Amino acid sequence: MEWLHRKYDYDLVVIGGGSGGLACSKEAAQLGQKVAVLDYVEPSAKGTKWGLGGTCVNVGCIPKKLMHQAALLGTAVKDARKYGWKIKDPVSHDWETMAEAVQNHVRSLNWGHRVQLKDKKVKYLNLKGSLLDEHTVRGMTKSGKESFLTAKNIVIATGGRPKYPTDIPGAMEHGITSDDIFWLKEAPGKTLVVGASYVALECAGFLTGIGQDTKVMVRSIALRGFDQQMAGLVTDHMQAYGTRFAWGCVPQRVDKLPSGALQVTWADTRTGKEETDSFDSVLWAVGRAPEAKALGLDKVGVEVNRETGKIVVGADESTSVSNIYAFGDIGEGRPELTPTAVKAGRLLARRLAGQSTQLMDYDNVATTVFTPLEYSCVGLSEEEAVGRHGQDAIEVYHAFYKPLEFTVAERDASQCYIKVVCERGGEQRILGLHYTGPNAGEVMQGFSLALRCGATLSHLKETVGIHPTCAEELTKVSITKRSGLDATVTGC
Amino acid sequence: MSLYEEVKVHGYAEFCKAVSDRKGKDIFAYFSGNVIKMTTSEPTVRGEISHLPEGSVFIYCQVGQRDYWKNPNNDFKKTLKLSGVPTLLRYGTPQKLVEEECFKANLVRMMFTED
Repeated sequence: MEWLHRKYDYDLVVIGGGSGGLACSKEAAQLGQKVAVLDYVEPSAKGTKWGLGGTCVNVGCIPKKLMHQAALLGTAVKDARKYGWKIKDPVSHDWETMAEAVQNHVRSLNWGHRVQLKDKKVKYLNLKGSLLDEHTVRGMTKSGKESFLTAKNIVIATGGRPKYPTDIPGAMEHGITSDDIFWLKEAPGKTLVVGASYVALECAGFLTGIGQDTKVMVRSIALRGFDQQMAGLVTDHMQAYGTRFAWGCVPQRVDKLPSGALQVTWADTRTGKEETDSFDSVLWAVGRAPEAKALGLDKVGVEVNRETGKIVVGADESTSVSNIYAFGDIGEGRPELTPTAVKAGRLLARRLAGQSTQLMDYDNVATTVFTPLEYSCVGLSEEEAVGRHGQDAIEVYHAFYKPLEFTVAERDASQCYIKVVCERGGEQRILGLHYTGPNAGEVMQGFSLALRCGATLSHLKETVGIHPTCAEELTKVSITKRSGLDATVTGC
Repeated sequence: MSLYEEVKVHGYAEFCKAVSDRKGKDIFAYFSGNVIKMTTSEPTVRGEISHLPEGSVFIYCQVGQRDYWKNPNNDFKKTLKLSGVPTLLRYGTPQKLVEEECFKANLVRMMFTED
């Protein structure tokens, strides 16, 4: 192609070096495209910043799962005594040791991404990208120096950042978000987590697990969008496990006391009273906002959803401008998950290189909430299934089970539960699977393949379980909700 | 005028001494096994050596004989966490290039020149 006058600097410029942006740019480069990726991290309000890799690597999935593991190990150490291990009381946790190890691992991943991009000949620019026109991207340094790149196609994968409440005095000056929690040099101490999203519950969960006095403040419901019965089991377990919950409460102000502690004043909507308490840290987990404001989208004509601020995208990740695409957390209506961003990015790269026409399938994507009692699911929640098909056309099989490992450890398994939502008639196609219990993500991954293959209740019941496991309980469900019978599993 | 200091050491003890004698410096270390038949990546690394930051240190470390290296409990594996030779690393940072990566000039240059 050398003899053709190269019209643009690049075949593809990707703005955003997170899970999606990196997958897309590397795939495109491997398919022979000339690619550049711009990644830039605006420091958080507290000044936290990080390297290449996006939210997942730096302030999301990775550090979260490692800290969740730290908390689980704390519980395991306590269980260990019942299994014969001689472990001195009290067992204590050192934040600095955990944080350093987690942060070092994250830094090795930042480096790993740098090596991969270089190796695959993707040009990496640590610049804040924005659109000048449909084929020109402006890159800006921290000091404001500008440079320009032209591209045949532009992909926006800038993701999102945690929101701060705008109407609560002291929120931003004194509070932190998930952008900061994993990079703290010292333990957060007595913490108020505001919000009941999976971010809020996961953070509150591991903080409790490592011994921090933690309270979760919930305005209305927990895990909005998830099956609410399962959400209840998750929060019930957290409460039994030591996290305090303030239901129906709304923070009003945060003040710093002379001691350095934070005084939070809130309204309890259930009693109508105003309450206060002091905390060492306040963690806002009240939602995430798309990183779209500084992109210059309106100037170029890229349509944005007025309510959410996210970019309106088609099934092929296209935007309202023909050569500009957007995917990952920035896309309106898209799951805010790493694996969907990665897969969508790779498929988009293949389509842009003319190698494929395959679109991303966003249905039946399995997920897991890594709370102290983990919750995994794939497919529809019970409410969604009822909403779509009607109560009469749905059958829900369920079981309360007890993980074998909990017996000797004398652990309460009241919230360990499985639910299979399926069609009532015909082949009884499975519409949704829900599981609370240990290793929820590991348990659910294989079953999500089954859903993709159109698994029915008979398929599930004909599957022989692996014994003794928690996962096998999914193959043994027989009690329906409709029957009203006791769904507690008895021994084998 | 040399922009960087080169140090040649044999074995773990010598390596540790070379590092402790140069506290506060930007140290790049290249670990090599006793290569007789294998192609060495040394020429690739040496080819980029002019790109080392000013005032930095380049330690060329021979890890020792084959049976010493094969032992999974040797100090390089246990303490320095080396997984293979050759390894090129920037001491005290997660920046590391292992085995085939050391044969790629662009990766070596990236480690020497980028932050």
